[in-house]
Amino acid sequence: MNELEQAGLARLRDGWISGGAMFEIAPVAWKEVAAASSPDEQERRLLAIAAQALDVALRPAAPKSLKRRPPLPVLALPTLPERLRPLLRAALKYAADARLKTRVATLVASRGFVLHPMDWMPAASYQESPDVYAPWVDWQAGADGEKQSRREHLTAETWDDFYPAARRTALVDLRRTMPALARTLIETKGASEPAEVRLALIELMRFGLGADDVPFLKSLSADRSGKVREMAGRLLARLGERGPIDGGTDDPTAELAAFIEEGKSGFIRRRTTYAPIKIKSPAQQARRADLFVSCYFRDLASHFGKTESDFIGAWQFGVDDSADLFLVRMVSVSGSDVAVACLADLLVAAGGKLALLVLQLMLRLDGGRKRVLIRQILNDAQNLAALNLVEGADAGWLEWGDLTKGKTISALRSAVSGDNDVTKRSAEQYLEAIGFLANPVTAEKLIGEVVATGLPPASPSLSLLRLNAALAENPSKSDR
Amino acid sequence: MQLDLKTIEALAPDQASLGAAAKLTKRSNWPRLETNEQFGLIWGECQGSGSNPYRVAFDTRDHGYKCTCPSRKFPCKHILGLMWIGATAPASFDRVDQTPEWVNDWLGRRRKPGQPPMQAPASSEGKSIDEAERPEQSAPVEDAAAAERREAAQRKRAEDTRSAVSAALDELDQWIADQLRLGLAGFVDSCSERCRRIAARLVDLKATALAGRIDELPARLMALRSEEKPDAAIRELGKLVVLAKAWRAAPDDAELKRLVSTSETRDQILGNPDAVQVESDWEVLGEKIETRRDGLVSHATWLLDLKSPTPRFAVLLDFFPASAGRRSGAFAPGDRFKARLVFYPSRNPLRALVAERLGDAAPGNWPAFAPDATCDPLAAYAAFQDGAPWLSDCPIILPAGAIALDEKDGAWWQAASDPHGIALPVAGSVSQTLLGLDLAATAALWNGARLELLASQSSIGRLDLS
Repeated sequence: MNELEQAGLARLRDGWISGGAMFEIAPVAWKEVAAASSPDEQERRLLAIAAQALDVALRPAAPKSLKRRPPLPVLALPTLPERLRPLLRAALKYAADARLKTRVATLVASRGFVLHPMDWMPAASYQESPDVYAPWVDWQAGADGEKQSRREHLTAETWDDFYPAARRTALVDLRRTMPALARTLIETKGASEPAEVRLALIELMRFGLGADDVPFLKSLSADRSGKVREMAGRLLARLGERGPIDGGTDDPTAELAAFIEEGKSGFIRRRTTYAPIKIKSPAQQARRADLFVSCYFRDLASHFGKTESDFIGAWQFGVDDSADLFLVRMVSVSGSDVAVACLADLLVAAGGKLALLVLQLMLRLDGGRKRVLIRQILNDAQNLAALNLVEGADAGWLEWGDLTKGKTISALRSAVSGDNDVTKRSAEQYLEAIGFLANPVTAEKLIGEVVATGLPPASPSLSLLRLNAALAENPSKSDR
Repeated sequence: MQLDLKTIEALAPDQASLGAAAKLTKRSNWPRLETNEQFGLIWGECQGSGSNPYRVAFDTRDHGYKCTCPSRKFPCKHILGLMWIGATAPASFDRVDQTPEWVNDWLGRRRKPGQPPMQAPASSEGKSIDEAERPEQSAPVEDAAAAERREAAQRKRAEDTRSAVSAALDELDQWIADQLRLGLAGFVDSCSERCRRIAARLVDLKATALAGRIDELPARLMALRSEEKPDAAIRELGKLVVLAKAWRAAPDDAELKRLVSTSETRDQILGNPDAVQVESDWEVLGEKIETRRDGLVSHATWLLDLKSPTPRFAVLLDFFPASAGRRSGAFAPGDRFKARLVFYPSRNPLRALVAERLGDAAPGNWPAFAPDATCDPLAAYAAFQDGAPWLSDCPIILPAGAIALDEKDGAWWQAASDPHGIALPVAGSVSQTLLGLDLAATAALWNGARLELLASQSSIGRLDLS
């Protein structure tokens, strides 16, 4: 179409928009084709020509400011094979929320694959995605297109080349392997960051926390942010150091100790016990709760002249459930690693509902103790719902014997074969949780077991177990 | 398999269903029949009156069933047919260990899994398998005079229809001229009401296909930005003018008749010796499901010929009432199968029927027929318009490119190497993930204004974009 025709088309278009006969202003060549005896027919013919011109001769004008996103980074693991994607999509569809979908991604990552980005993408705001997805998290967060999170080593020089998620992952790795180097980086680069970022960086000090970190953590007592000072204090408390405590001149630890009474038990070997006193009012209850949050566990144990482990051993669990919960949370936040391990072992050994208090210690527990807890939960089979509360558990290690030793299998069997829909739905959730924890052999056997009991073989609740079993050729790293 | 004819008789809703099912017991009606004995399941694909075969599954343990046909009889004749084959010729079913995904989906959605078999209706009164198997009484032999009267009546009906359609197109012409005289600004504003009125007139005058198209025009305009609407109106009204003129020039042309009044039946297409037939490997590019204003849902399944040296497409088009609820198609995007397709006669043959399924095709990439950067990506569209300027949606394969965003976050497809400076606006919103991927080749529908993405090939494999 030449320029004259383009201009003619524009005139026709404008004319028709407002209405009326446009034949006279049409390009000459078009008028020759469109000439007819009736004015209406002439207009229709012109309309047909204009339609064809718009369709074929004109192209959409591309805006000059079209922007492309940076290429989606290639991850360190290969994409899940195409043949397994239907199983994966079924598992993702059944997973009810972002946390459960992330768990599917974690299982697949433990078997050496990442998900196809059109099947699942980690949300920019969600930090629990497997580390391998850090480049995608940063890509999602909306990079400006110039930074590249491809530096292999995090140093003061490359600090700005890392996006936040990738930097976090690199710092965690560094804290585990070279904690001093990571601390120096947090110290030097963190100082210029805003309080929110500083707090997130200091929180990473919990990985590989050691005595060498004490001077730096103590230096944070002068930090501008109260939250940073509080975090540093808790970390120091874990190391057996007294951290700075904000507040008045009264001794809050002594006030908290007043809520605990010392006693004796045993006839031959008299031993000291500690139990919460009976609370008389809601105000007292609230004050005690505040004190458990603001005091450090080591200070409390010291107040009674005990080591952390001795105090835990002497605590009378079961006297006051809420006091038990506050104490466990206190240990989780400010107890030493030894205290956390001692408390976790004691609670798991006690079993029943006390074992579930270990869920409060999740952030501090190593993989081994989490496995012990999971085995305990399965063994009891009283509270299988707690399986979903075990944060950060390893994927793909649970053995068939772990299920058959206790009452889990019989509980699942009776739930699946029974008539109670609520129990059935719960059982399906447990199957999903076990689908994450099980090794491929266990997954395969469990599917056979529940299907034989009456669960439809194609039940969506089996989808994660099926994916797990299908990934049998790639055992989880945690299972190797 | 524990099936007997008495159960089928009892489950059948009426004698007519049993009669219809009896006709479906021929093996040739079923391109696929499979069973998983462990789970007590039988399933198959039955070639019905639609362009897609219906997917039919039956659970022999509790007599649960599923069919993708739009029938309102439960169970439908396809289920009864499948059961009938299961009872009388179980060897017809291939034994497999894995159930296909669509069967799994159905099993997963069933409300009461693991229930004991449904109780059959109290009696089989009024229904008889024996009756259904009895051959239909042949129609009385027609004498010559009666045959002539019938043919004369047919000719009269055809003549009446042609006259009515001709009158419909006269009204359409006048209506278009009125819209130009009144102004397209007003037309765009009250498009819905104006189109509804002329569409109703066209239905009265037997131009039903054309009425359906005009009924959809408001929705097409609504999807565009306001500054684009007048151009879109010119384009669509101009196409209607051309279509009306073409029909007047050749009222017996099959394609034009289909676009203006009514379509051929499946049997007419399969029996048409001039219909193009292509036996090849096909990939399901994607689906386009739209609920139309006339209460029908149109379900288009776009296919790509994997053996053709140049891009060749086919579309399987089915219509069913929206009130029938969500209906799953016979194919999922990405499926590959071998089949013989029969195309509806057309200048640009696209609409097709699956005449014969010949098994599954191997997975893999598309053939390397994506045009290189020096080719005009819209050349195929221009050729398509030359042949049939009254059509809109044209399937195309775009060369290597990517999706970019404009200032209003509108998505555009842009060629990786772009000597023509072409970027094409994409319909609707796109996944954020897609913005970070390089697309080696993209299959899409171009309507002159918007690109509807169907599927892409990329470094991380096939992307389903429909």
